[in-house]
Amino acid sequence: MTSALDTTQELTARVVTEFFDAYRRHDVVGMADLCSDNADFSYPPFEISGKQRVIHGDGKVHTIGRVIWTGLIHSFPDLTNDVTTLSANSNGDAIAEVLISGTQAATWGVIANKRQAYEVPHLFVFHVGRDGLIDDITGYWDNASLYRQLGHAEID
Amino acid sequence: MTTAPLVEPTVAPGEIVTAFFDAIRRHDIDAAFTLVSPAVKTEIRPAEVYGGYDEARGFFEAGLNAFPDLLLRSRRTAEFQDGRVLNELIFEGTQSGEFLGILNQEKHVDIEQAWLTEVCGAQIVAISGYWDQNKLYRRLAVKRLDRISIAS
Repeated sequence: MTSALDTTQELTARVVTEFFDAYRRHDVVGMADLCSDNADFSYPPFEISGKQRVIHGDGKVHTIGRVIWTGLIHSFPDLTNDVTTLSANSNGDAIAEVLISGTQAATWGVIANKRQAYEVPHLFVFHVGRDGLIDDITGYWDNASLYRQLGHAEID
Repeated sequence: MTTAPLVEPTVAPGEIVTAFFDAIRRHDIDAAFTLVSPAVKTEIRPAEVYGGYDEARGFFEAGLNAFPDLLLRSRRTAEFQDGRVLNELIFEGTQSGEFLGILNQEKHVDIEQAWLTEVCGAQIVAISGYWDQNKLYRRLAVKRLDRISIAS
């Protein structure tokens, strides 16, 4: 017999799996469709210093999240992901360790295109609501590793 | 001297990991590491720290030595049925000594971190840390990845 708790856990894991499947297909609309209208988005490593202000990777999936995903796919046309571990619980929380890789084909942020490839482990934290939609995404990775692999030594 | 266990063997994994970070906050490394298995698997990629018990302990000792006013402000904790525990923290403090090859320029840092631990029985058997080392370098006034130990 399947309990309600098991159902929530399984639903959460399924939604997160579908999210990374869509990401692998470069289906940004599909990724966003798995999120609620007001889903929160936080990529703490995303921090770009502009001339007048610093742009942070914090906001909403349907604003900054979609922009970042679209930009990444543009700069790394072969961008892909490998979900190495995925855990979900009955509260709708999920954690996914994901290896993201790609080959640079255009400028990404402050990093000029040197046609280098990268592969960087990420940790994503999700919360899936009772409606089966992601309402919170946080992503962690190490830009020092990413920058080194892309041949960019300046920390800026 | 033997440090008494901080938690009973039957407590939930989340409580064990919370007790671990609480002990680190108190600068009580000995107490924290009574909760860590001698066979722990350590993967702290941003700091390039890999190995076991000694490597994990060495990392936290180095952090407390370099940032004596270190705060590990908790943002979110989640526990999973497979024994894994997520802790999202802010690593915040003022540098007062060399850390991971970075010279002390008395800079203040606040870095978002995620720690993923796995608990088996009453001990932490795996510990992984995720954060952006570039952001740490930036906060500590390092200018280039190929010159980490050179002051700006």
